[in-house]
Amino acid sequence: MSAQTLPVIDLVHPLPGFPDDRRFALVDLDGSGQLCSLTSLDHDDLRFLVAPPNTFFPDYTPEIDDATIADLDISSVEDVMVLVVLNPGETLLTSTANLKAPVVLNTANRRACQVIVDDADLSVSAPLSA
Amino acid sequence: MLVLSRRVGESVVIGDDITITILEVRSDGIRVGIDAPRSVAVHRAELLVELEASNRDAASPSDAKISSLAEELRRRKR
Repeated sequence: MSAQTLPVIDLVHPLPGFPDDRRFALVDLDGSGQLCSLTSLDHDDLRFLVAPPNTFFPDYTPEIDDATIADLDISSVEDVMVLVVLNPGETLLTSTANLKAPVVLNTANRRACQVIVDDADLSVSAPLSA
Repeated sequence: MLVLSRRVGESVVIGDDITITILEVRSDGIRVGIDAPRSVAVHRAELLVELEASNRDAASPSDAKISSLAEELRRRKR
């Protein structure tokens, strides 16, 4: 699998469930950035499949709260990259995305965190088939 | 765990800048107001549990699964 690896991403808060992993690499898995992995640099075998949401959820525009903007030291909207964590099934139809808790990345300083969006309509396991 | 009894309208202060106020007691639960700095994340515990479970489910998918999804995505885009 060819992979273009971006510099180290620093999770300012670890992913819930994975308190010991703070340094990740964002790896482009398909050459177009539509499918990426967040690969832990702290544990060899830990990675998450992530994707920019617009491919699957064109209307998805999560609101990023002030605390996150402060935590990630975001100064410009253009620096913000939103990724959703995918829970892959055997096919795209059986795969889901976590829209409730996107990973927000400040590309300027490579600080990131998984944010809980305060919207009861968003699910942690939204079908990709949408 | 510190256990306190509070009446409606009474508060508990945590540290210098977090205040928790009991707003209302109903038959099926209580309403709590939380006044905290924006830098302090306040979340429902069950949501964090759900998020942890979802992250664990999503962790470390196999190469085969990722390859087949990437291939499916490429075909779909054509």
